[in-house]
Amino acid sequence: MQTHLADFIRNTIEGREADAILRKCVHCGFCTATCPTYQLLGDELDGPRGRIYLMKQVLEGVTPTSTTQLHLDRCLSCRNCETTCPSGVQYGRLLDIGRVIVEQQVERTEVEKLKRKLLRLVIPYRNRFGPLLKIGQFFRPFLPKPLKQATPAARAAGVWPQADKHDRRMLVLNGCVQPAIAPDINSATARVLDQLGIGLTTANDGCCGALSYHLSAHDEALGFVRQNIDAWWPYIEQGVEAIVITASGCGVMVKDYGYLLRHDTDYAKKAATVSDLTKDISEVLYTEDLTKLKTKSNKKVAFQAPCSLQHGLKLSGKVEDILARLGFSLTTVPDTHLCCGSAGTYSILNPVISNQLKKRKLEALCSEQPDIIATANIGCLTHLESEATVPVVHWINLIAAMSHEK
Amino acid sequence: MSIAPKAENPSLQSQRARVASDLRRVVATDSVLDEEESLRPYECDGLSAYRRLPLVVVLPDTVDQVQQVVRYCHDNDIPIVARGAGTGLSGGALPIEDGVVLSLAKFNKVISVDKDNRTAVVQPGVRNLAISETVSHLGLYYAPDPSSQIACTIGGNVAENAGGLHCLKYGLTVHNVLEIKIVTIEGDLVTIGSNALDSPGYDLLALMTGSEGLLGIIVEVTVKLLTKPDCAKVIMASFDDIEKAGNAVANIITAGIIPGGLEMMDNAAIRVTEDFVHAGYDVEAAAILLCELDGTPEEVDDEIERVKLVLEQSGYTQMQVAKDDNQRQLFWSGRKSAFPAVGRISPDYYCMDGTIPRKTLGSVMSKVDELSRQYDLRVVNVFHAGDGNLHPLILYDGNVEGELERTEELGGAILDLCIEVGGTITGEHGVGMEKIDHMCIQFDTLELSQFHAVKQAFDTKRLLNPDKAVPTLHRCAEFGAMHVHKGQLKFPDIERF
Amino acid sequence: MSADSAQELIDAVKRALDSNTNLCITGGNTKSFYGRDPVGEPLLTTIHHGIVNYEPSELVITARSGTLLADIELTLAEQKQMLAFEPPSFGKQATLGGAVACGLSGPRRPYVGAVRDFVLGVRMINGRGEDLKFGGQVMKNVAGYDVSRLMVGALGTLGVLLDISLKVLPTPMMECTLVFEVGHTQALELQNTWAAKPLPISATCHVGELLHVRLSGSEKGIIAARKQLGGEQVQGADEFWCNLKEHRHDFFKQAETLWRISVPPATPALNVSGPCLVEWNGGLRWLKSDIPAQSIRTTIDMVGGHATMFRGGDSENVFHPLQQTVLTLHKNLKTAFDPAGIFNPGRMYEGV
Repeated sequence: MQTHLADFIRNTIEGREADAILRKCVHCGFCTATCPTYQLLGDELDGPRGRIYLMKQVLEGVTPTSTTQLHLDRCLSCRNCETTCPSGVQYGRLLDIGRVIVEQQVERTEVEKLKRKLLRLVIPYRNRFGPLLKIGQFFRPFLPKPLKQATPAARAAGVWPQADKHDRRMLVLNGCVQPAIAPDINSATARVLDQLGIGLTTANDGCCGALSYHLSAHDEALGFVRQNIDAWWPYIEQGVEAIVITASGCGVMVKDYGYLLRHDTDYAKKAATVSDLTKDISEVLYTEDLTKLKTKSNKKVAFQAPCSLQHGLKLSGKVEDILARLGFSLTTVPDTHLCCGSAGTYSILNPVISNQLKKRKLEALCSEQPDIIATANIGCLTHLESEATVPVVHWINLIAAMSHEK
Repeated sequence: MSIAPKAENPSLQSQRARVASDLRRVVATDSVLDEEESLRPYECDGLSAYRRLPLVVVLPDTVDQVQQVVRYCHDNDIPIVARGAGTGLSGGALPIEDGVVLSLAKFNKVISVDKDNRTAVVQPGVRNLAISETVSHLGLYYAPDPSSQIACTIGGNVAENAGGLHCLKYGLTVHNVLEIKIVTIEGDLVTIGSNALDSPGYDLLALMTGSEGLLGIIVEVTVKLLTKPDCAKVIMASFDDIEKAGNAVANIITAGIIPGGLEMMDNAAIRVTEDFVHAGYDVEAAAILLCELDGTPEEVDDEIERVKLVLEQSGYTQMQVAKDDNQRQLFWSGRKSAFPAVGRISPDYYCMDGTIPRKTLGSVMSKVDELSRQYDLRVVNVFHAGDGNLHPLILYDGNVEGELERTEELGGAILDLCIEVGGTITGEHGVGMEKIDHMCIQFDTLELSQFHAVKQAFDTKRLLNPDKAVPTLHRCAEFGAMHVHKGQLKFPDIERF
Repeated sequence: MSADSAQELIDAVKRALDSNTNLCITGGNTKSFYGRDPVGEPLLTTIHHGIVNYEPSELVITARSGTLLADIELTLAEQKQMLAFEPPSFGKQATLGGAVACGLSGPRRPYVGAVRDFVLGVRMINGRGEDLKFGGQVMKNVAGYDVSRLMVGALGTLGVLLDISLKVLPTPMMECTLVFEVGHTQALELQNTWAAKPLPISATCHVGELLHVRLSGSEKGIIAARKQLGGEQVQGADEFWCNLKEHRHDFFKQAETLWRISVPPATPALNVSGPCLVEWNGGLRWLKSDIPAQSIRTTIDMVGGHATMFRGGDSENVFHPLQQTVLTLHKNLKTAFDPAGIFNPGRMYEGV
């Protein structure tokens, strides 16, 4: 596509990157076909091609209004469009750049600013989010329905086997909300890896930075990134094999550390090493000999592939393959490529669209009456769980539970 | 001739405000777009070199709203451009400065499926591929499959008479649609065609199909569904010479075989698409041929053997039968994503759509190659070889001064070539805005006047997608004056039909 | 044939225009029974005959409108090709122009397509005496409105066809006809069941208590289909299908009005009395009945079809009435092509 970037951005790092991305787009419109919001709203402006056009205008020097901001806000960042795009347009990167510029040029209302500020002040911090969640869970039986749905029930943490009995070691990201909402995911991961002869340890890390990053607070996000690198570095020096991520949303972010800090002279190398070591738990299991775990399960599982897993990490089919190898019967889920509407803070900031997508996703997941829904990302898990009629778990918990039954 | 954005005149802005506020009485406030910021993304369709800011965009979601919008425009002499997914490659949905873009994208529901009669009633904004997905569990599918089928909508397919990879055997849109409902420019809802195999009176359905939004607004489509063949197999054959591949196509057909799909790609196309789909294409070949055979397993086995023999006699260098359905899909997915995949190697492309008698394929190809060198622009070729439909993609960079103009000239020369060998300027993409001047070459004044008379029969005020598809005689006179000096017959050595 | 028969026809049209004379476009005069009563001076297209171009590898034939259908079929057969829509000729003198103008297709229609599906291009004379070309000789062509297909079945009311280009298909390697003894309702059900399966069926016909089914394709394909279908094989069935197409079958021999009823194929037995012959998987029903037209058409309207008084009956209301807005479009189109209204006036509808 023809481009004429404005002076303010043309010669910046972002400007050059944005220009290269825009010029790959040939405006074919294939992306609209798999865009969840375009399917719901039917407006060019609510599909990737329209958003690219809106951002292109801004980059070409047109001052945006809240209209552009609204349509960019409505994007789930699911990156389904990237999977569909035959031209290889990196829409997600362009969106990150575009959103920041629009954020700088368009003043949000006080209420909107406050909402975003609160999200950034609470969620990424375990010591803030954890206690608040506990209070919520305590009062959960008495809460009105919407709030009750938004407050996941408490889960037991589960046993964490000793790591040092194995020669092989991996590190797992604690992250921010997951330890508070579903502490059982990482412990289940530890137990499964334990059976495979891998010891799993944790460091004093925190939020991966994705939340701030997607709310256009890039510097804040990079602060989290550097903290995590510092926390992990000693373990990396001791020779951990991998940094395991059990929330695919965080996985996409951590795999990007190297890219995000590529111009930071102090961190560039370390960040690149971290990204290289980072693996989604499905990548770890996929290459391991699973016969040690093999057992029968009669559970009918519907697997929900999070967008971060299939479009972000491009790991389609891996989890399904692992579960099938372990004897689970998987249902056929229509429209697996579509987002469930969780999308990080999206469900809080765009509840109407988010709920419509959740309803569609649950219908699709339940179309063959599964016993249980499995997912790979904490955000999708709590989002779907709030209205699902069957239990929703991280898929690693299915495997851990199965081994436990044995 | 390209259309670049320019400064708007003030009277247009006041008209915009008035029309937007009037239309907001018909549809929801946020279903009328009137800020320049929101209108820009609607300034072009899949042909982004041609851009024009519309007066307003309106996004109705009921037929009644469409009727009201159209009546309003009719009463106030406002042109209307209907738009589906905006994937067209000829600028058919290019807005008119003082006109309304009527988007039918919100009409995206499959209304009903009739299993016994094997038909589906769908809204115009339903994606082509979504129809087949919806009826797949019944063992049925909708046959026309344009390369953009993932995104393009059935309303646009009917308006353009879209084709696809399988039309040699299964026909174009016109062969696979039974009934449509249109809103006329007066706002009347009219049913054309029927659920039976024919209908009384003139074949208005055929006339409407491919009429590029000039005769009515399509608001509902009943499509014919086919039973999925028991078996489909695809053979991929490589050739070290395009002409040999072209002869192979003729030989297959002369042998009495009508393949489900018969497609060709040249080396450049093979390399680009292989990079995206990793289908296992032979990147060394001068051309590959994809030949799909479908039917009962017995028939397919029989035909595969016959085609293999023909290909052997035609001098292939490599040949492979897709080992399973996944590989078959993979072979096709490369071909289907060929256009946009070009985005990986070039910032812009210009897609041609001429159709030629098959026997001229070899000579036309070498002429295209010659032209490509003459204009110093790369050309990537994919063809619906079975029906002689060429899709040369001219690669250019819109940021380089003068390159688009040169591209258009080269495109024009290719179209001239198609007409000269007895073909047509457009096989399936439509004339739209892009090829409108070449209509002056393909048709004479009397024929164009007859087209205008047809338009008059449906739309006396000329409000529906005006000035597209059929050029005014005035326009042709201007174009003719420009075009004549290039000579009457540019390629006298090409065999003429 | 004279040196320029097309010019002769053009001159004749111009003369008629000048003298305000209606023209009755006539080919072999084999289908003059079809439609409302012909009026006007005959304009004989038979002077304009001959195959202009035929290249088997292109699957295209171009012929003048006055060419005998039989000549075309013979030429194609020599190259193992055919007019796949199997147009009925209703007489040896039938011409290509007449077949296209009447738009009638034979037994193979539901499986391969109708006349209109095979027409690629026409050269014609409009009501201003102008010589026009639309479409072409290639398979795909979307330049300009599809005037060629509009001419199909227009009964010559829009213009005089001069040359017509048609897509042709290879003749099947093999054909085989099976017969089943079943009643009307069961025959409809069977045809519908089969149609939903990927079987190489190329014609069906149920009349009396017999259902005939024709299979076309490769030998192996037909053997496999025969196993699936059962039934008895009929020898020399080509004659049966030809007689059916040409209305020489006994069913077509008697006095009542013959109705051609086109319905969605899965439509159950029609609620009208009279002997019925079913073709096209149930999509075409020939009915012999003298019940009032109005009553038949009301019934057919309810199932989403249309009824034509094919032979006999009231010559005023031959074709199913049109929705008012659609009739208006017809009249507008008639004016667009034939402003003076000289071609076959009123042959289709009053004023069209």
